[in-house]
Amino acid sequence: MPAVLTVDPRSGVPIYLQIIEQVKRSIALGVLRGGEQLPTVKQLAIDLTVNPNTVARAYRELEREAVIETATGRGSFVRTDEIDASPRVALEIGRDALELALREAKAVGLGRDEVREIFTTALERWFSELPKGDSP
Amino acid sequence: MSSIKISNLRKVYGSTPAVDGFSLDVPSASVFGLLGPNGAGKTTTFKCMLGLARPSSGEILYDGKPLVPESFQRIAYVPERNVLYEWMTVDEHVEMNRRAFKAFEPARARELLSQFGVDPRKRASALSKGMRTAVMVACAFARNAEILVLDEPTSGLDPVNQRHVLSLIINEAAKGNSVIFSSHQIGQVERAAERIAVMDRGKAILSGVVDDLKADRKIVEGIFPDVNYSLDGIANDPRVARVDRTERILRLLVTAGADEIAARLSGLGATGIRVLDLNLEDIFLYAVSPKDATADIVTKEQSS
Repeated sequence: MPAVLTVDPRSGVPIYLQIIEQVKRSIALGVLRGGEQLPTVKQLAIDLTVNPNTVARAYRELEREAVIETATGRGSFVRTDEIDASPRVALEIGRDALELALREAKAVGLGRDEVREIFTTALERWFSELPKGDSP
Repeated sequence: MSSIKISNLRKVYGSTPAVDGFSLDVPSASVFGLLGPNGAGKTTTFKCMLGLARPSSGEILYDGKPLVPESFQRIAYVPERNVLYEWMTVDEHVEMNRRAFKAFEPARARELLSQFGVDPRKRASALSKGMRTAVMVACAFARNAEILVLDEPTSGLDPVNQRHVLSLIINEAAKGNSVIFSSHQIGQVERAAERIAVMDRGKAILSGVVDDLKADRKIVEGIFPDVNYSLDGIANDPRVARVDRTERILRLLVTAGADEIAARLSGLGATGIRVLDLNLEDIFLYAVSPKDATADIVTKEQSS
């Protein structure tokens, strides 16, 4: 696996959540593909200089969310079965980011119409290549 | 299975308790970080763990058994204070460890010393503070010990060697051994430790899994339209550990349920509500300084 994971232990975000988020992001971006092997818990702990149990916790959670699977003695792999995890993970990342932005907009006192206007403008800017009325 | 279990440890010097009812539990194959201001009782706790000080009361168990002479083959200790013999060379210290400890690997010790940049031919008296720490750390990690007790194992080391010590600690945990260490460098504890305890005046004032503490402990902040706002009992919520009111701004330290408390503030008419993450240093500082003398603050006790 390419060395794409980094964590900021000094952040207030739990390290295991940072690892989960980055593995998901790597999958969404296609950096990690279905069937690809993740580093062992020990290797990733040493590479990131973080506690092995913290890495193991992240892997357990990714397994529970059906993003990766662990074969005893063989290691952990990005799941390939029934559906490719990447579109699902991409949707999740996008939704979380938009939720956060909306929450912040509300916190600073913006109204529904103002937010909609900002959203429409941003949508035009970033998704201009897509045909209008493109249904989700 | 806990590797180290301390129950209700008390150590009194004269009439002053240095450790006052301290308990901790280090599961096997884990790293435990002990934090606390100077004089909190960390070093005394370590000394009691190693039998270098006799507990006034309480119990210390390793894998369920009290310390016996044979235990020292399994436990490696790096003391806070320099315990090298000034007239002996580094090589002679390595040799002394080889004679004392069956599982000690001299080649591993020399490899570590070379990584730390210590000249093994030098006498201890010629070593800097950091190099002395490096010698003690190198000898401890060459012991093949199942339990490592490290009192400030990065003291005096440069950032590169500090990181090297952290890697050694992590490697021990990955091998299934247990480590308990103290450090004033909270960032190191934050990386290497799975669990922590914060000691203050001989007691554990906070303990838990680092990632859980970070996930649960948040600052919830809101701005009210005018100064005389009602808290409607929020200050009495057991999850609210601290209330700071600075004019129209309310900041709450919560130990759980941040989103729900944020929603309650919104219901009381607050705007600009934010839920802020806390890193381990913030969590530590809030734990050891429950009252902030500089700001216009009403603590939980005063406001309720």
